[in-house]
Amino acid sequence: MSDAAYTRPLTELRSSDESSVGGKSASLGELLAAEIPVPPGFALTTAAFTAFVRDSGLDGRIAGAMAQVAPGDVEAIGAASHRVSEAMHSAPVPEGVREEVSRRYAELAETAGVQEPPVAVRSSALGEDSEDATFAGQQETYLWVRGAEHVCDAVRDCWVSLYSPPAISYRARLGRDQRDAAMGVTVQLMVDAEVSGVMFTCNPVSGDPSMVAINASWGLGLAVVGGEVTPDDYLVSKITREVVKAQVHRKDVEYVPDPGGRGAVRVAVPEERAGERCLDDAALGALVAVARRVESHFRSHQDIEWAIARGGPDIYVVQSRPVTAVAKPAQKPPAASALSLVMSQFGVAPKRDAD
Amino acid sequence: MATMTDRAGAFPSPYDIETPPGCEGWEEMYPYYALFDERRRETDENRFWFWNSMHFPIPMPAFDVICIDSPYQAVGSWQNRVFAVPPAMGIDYRCVNGYIYITGNPVTDPAKIAERAEYFQRRASYYFENWDELYGKWRARMEALIAELLSLRVPDLPEYEPDEVAFGDDRNTSFYEVLDAYTRVLRMGDLMWQQHFEFLLLGYGAYSTFAEFCKANLPDIPDQHIAQMVAGIDVILFRPDAELRRLARLAVETGVDSAFVQGREPAEIEAELSGSDAGRAWLGELEQVKDPWFNMATGDGLTHYYRNWRDDPSIPYASLIGHIGALKAGEPIERPTEEIQRERDRLGEEYMGLLEEDSRRTFTDLLMLSRTVFPYVEEHKFYCDYWFLTNWWNKLREFGALLARHGFLEDGEEDVFHLSRYEVASALDELVLSWATGGQPLGPRHWPQIVARRKSLLAKLGQWSPPPALGVVPEAVTDPMTIMLWGVTTERVQEWARHQDGGVRFSGAAASPGTVEGVARVVRSVEEIRSVRDGEILVCGSTSPAWAPIFSKIKATVTDVGGVMSHAAIVCREYGLPAVVGTGRASSQIRTGQTIRVDGSEGVVTVISS
Repeated sequence: MSDAAYTRPLTELRSSDESSVGGKSASLGELLAAEIPVPPGFALTTAAFTAFVRDSGLDGRIAGAMAQVAPGDVEAIGAASHRVSEAMHSAPVPEGVREEVSRRYAELAETAGVQEPPVAVRSSALGEDSEDATFAGQQETYLWVRGAEHVCDAVRDCWVSLYSPPAISYRARLGRDQRDAAMGVTVQLMVDAEVSGVMFTCNPVSGDPSMVAINASWGLGLAVVGGEVTPDDYLVSKITREVVKAQVHRKDVEYVPDPGGRGAVRVAVPEERAGERCLDDAALGALVAVARRVESHFRSHQDIEWAIARGGPDIYVVQSRPVTAVAKPAQKPPAASALSLVMSQFGVAPKRDAD
Repeated sequence: MATMTDRAGAFPSPYDIETPPGCEGWEEMYPYYALFDERRRETDENRFWFWNSMHFPIPMPAFDVICIDSPYQAVGSWQNRVFAVPPAMGIDYRCVNGYIYITGNPVTDPAKIAERAEYFQRRASYYFENWDELYGKWRARMEALIAELLSLRVPDLPEYEPDEVAFGDDRNTSFYEVLDAYTRVLRMGDLMWQQHFEFLLLGYGAYSTFAEFCKANLPDIPDQHIAQMVAGIDVILFRPDAELRRLARLAVETGVDSAFVQGREPAEIEAELSGSDAGRAWLGELEQVKDPWFNMATGDGLTHYYRNWRDDPSIPYASLIGHIGALKAGEPIERPTEEIQRERDRLGEEYMGLLEEDSRRTFTDLLMLSRTVFPYVEEHKFYCDYWFLTNWWNKLREFGALLARHGFLEDGEEDVFHLSRYEVASALDELVLSWATGGQPLGPRHWPQIVARRKSLLAKLGQWSPPPALGVVPEAVTDPMTIMLWGVTTERVQEWARHQDGGVRFSGAAASPGTVEGVARVVRSVEEIRSVRDGEILVCGSTSPAWAPIFSKIKATVTDVGGVMSHAAIVCREYGLPAVVGTGRASSQIRTGQTIRVDGSEGVVTVISS
């Protein structure tokens, strides 16, 4: 097997690769194939994670710690998580993985035309886990990481999150073998976002499929995803691009690149921008266009993380995944003929027997 | 049908409403049966009444009460006695401090409902199947009725009857002519109201079925889009403005447009126009247009205060000035009918395409039926509420003028509306009697003071704020007419009732639907989540994945910050828990142990008790 087994460029990936690179990387590959703007990057496969665990002899340590775990035992889970994390943090990333990451990172530097370009490093959860990753705490994101060594450190931090207390208790609840857990990691060039947020290709609250629901706030995406601000809340018609709802909130904090060059820092939003609406109708219309392309590519409702680069107007999609919990429209009537619905409007009870 | 609960008193009892100071005796303006009378207190106090602010936004003048009686006689006749709508008979009304409260009469006996359903299905289906033909006949009847109204002459009372009475074939004297004309005006009003409601229930029913179907499957669809999909392209209501646009073009083409200056009164414009041949030609064209297209009303209420464009030309002239200005600026003023048609079809197709497979056929059928009934739903307003009604009020003004000429009214024709229809009949009786006998009428010393008193009563009653509802809070509003015509739904009524409670309320984003009540647990940090007990409602600043363990314990979540896609919102939807997020201040205002209600569908949190 070639050494490329540890990493793959996102452009090569399709959804069939999910089992080896995780849901996030695979879906980014799909988006690129559909010519949806996604920042360039590469994926670490589960082979990289497996090599890490195997080469540093962590497998025995993990098995030992996990043997103590019982579902619902919060104390034991916390203790096991602590033991595994400590061990993982002090274990080296295997040389082969390191080399490949450095090479891919150098390629990204060339694409970006800068030395040590800032990248985002995110966990890419696997299979069934990916849909529940939000709840399982496997949503590690490291922003504005620079330099191959730091990328490797961030990758390891993502791996560690596989044994966070919520992740352990999630697997325990489902009766999964803790030793089989594995994950991929996604590394992408950073978008220096002026505005970022998430959007759903339906209204997740009402279930309306004709709306795109958009949450947006200033700066990098962390503030919205992490729930640290109450974002602006928009509802836009897919059919007419009308902004059906625009609820502007005060956005007190934002994440921006650390002036020191590495990482993102949380800063106060200047007073004059905090209460400002962060997307105009044109930007909302452009987001809806992207949402519709993503939806029609995947043929299902999607939860999309996006960013608009400083100076705009380009939109980048940094993640897309199926919407898991959509409210079904509450009083959706059962399928019935038009006339029988009119009759029931007047209180004529529908006939029980089919005509 | 409104199912009643034992929560009597949640709305004020209609028997506890106080008369505003200085309004004592307001009841004299209204019929005995329109009042909350002690003799039927037991039933009336235990019903749910809501203020019909849609049709009667102001305290009703005594004469205008006829526009309560006739419509409810007519709507009840069709709904209850012709179509036999299964769960609903007609609508009762009562008057409180001059404001009109209404309630539906439910049918509760299941056997009766089933019996009525047979009638309803047979008769309603006949209408839906023959809609265009029946509606064509209806239009012809309405046009004939309007022609009859306009041709009705309100006679004067001459010193001597003309020779024709003595020598001609028609030997009616003016005493008979006046009383007959008054009776005929009232009769024509009844006839109009009867026709008004013939198709209305079925038309609204079909349309609202489509609207509800859209909202059930596409909950956020703007009402405007539903209307756009259904709206007729060539309905009569667009004609008046189409005629104004034609007149605007004519003014520009014939070079008389300079008369139309922003801010000028219609009379000034007409005076300038009448000074030139081209201007006079334009005014001639305007006269042609007025019948019937200037019979548009200046408002939608069922009172005599709304006039038509002939009586108040300020609205059409403002439009003319606007159209002419646009034409001269080179802007298009045509209503882009082809574009509207294309957009209407595009909306219909695209929305259908977003629906699930099994709903598409029903959507299309309902849309087609709505398009069939919609011309009536829109056009009846022009025929009935505008064309007929504004001219009908004018006929009554003629009787007012007659009474005023003989001193029965002091301030002119408008005073007639401060007498009930029976009082007007009585005044006319005395007028023709004293005219016939040559005796001295008492009317001039009787009616003016009554009118003066009522004008002052109405002015004072106009300052009063009517509560939205009276009587008991219904458990559910199920009367189809109440829901369709007034939009008074169970949710709306409960919202009114909640405002009554005077509880502390917080609004936020409706993040996960459902409503629960429970004990609040205020949690300020992740360290405190151990304190949460089973079945409590989590109230906090915000949540993160670290809070995951508690969502299986709690009943609902309220946060200070976060949107509908925040962690708390996503997890609550996953667990099926109601959530209101982004309330701003709930965690600092609500205390652990208080009982709160979380309405995750509306985004409202209410503190019920400590």
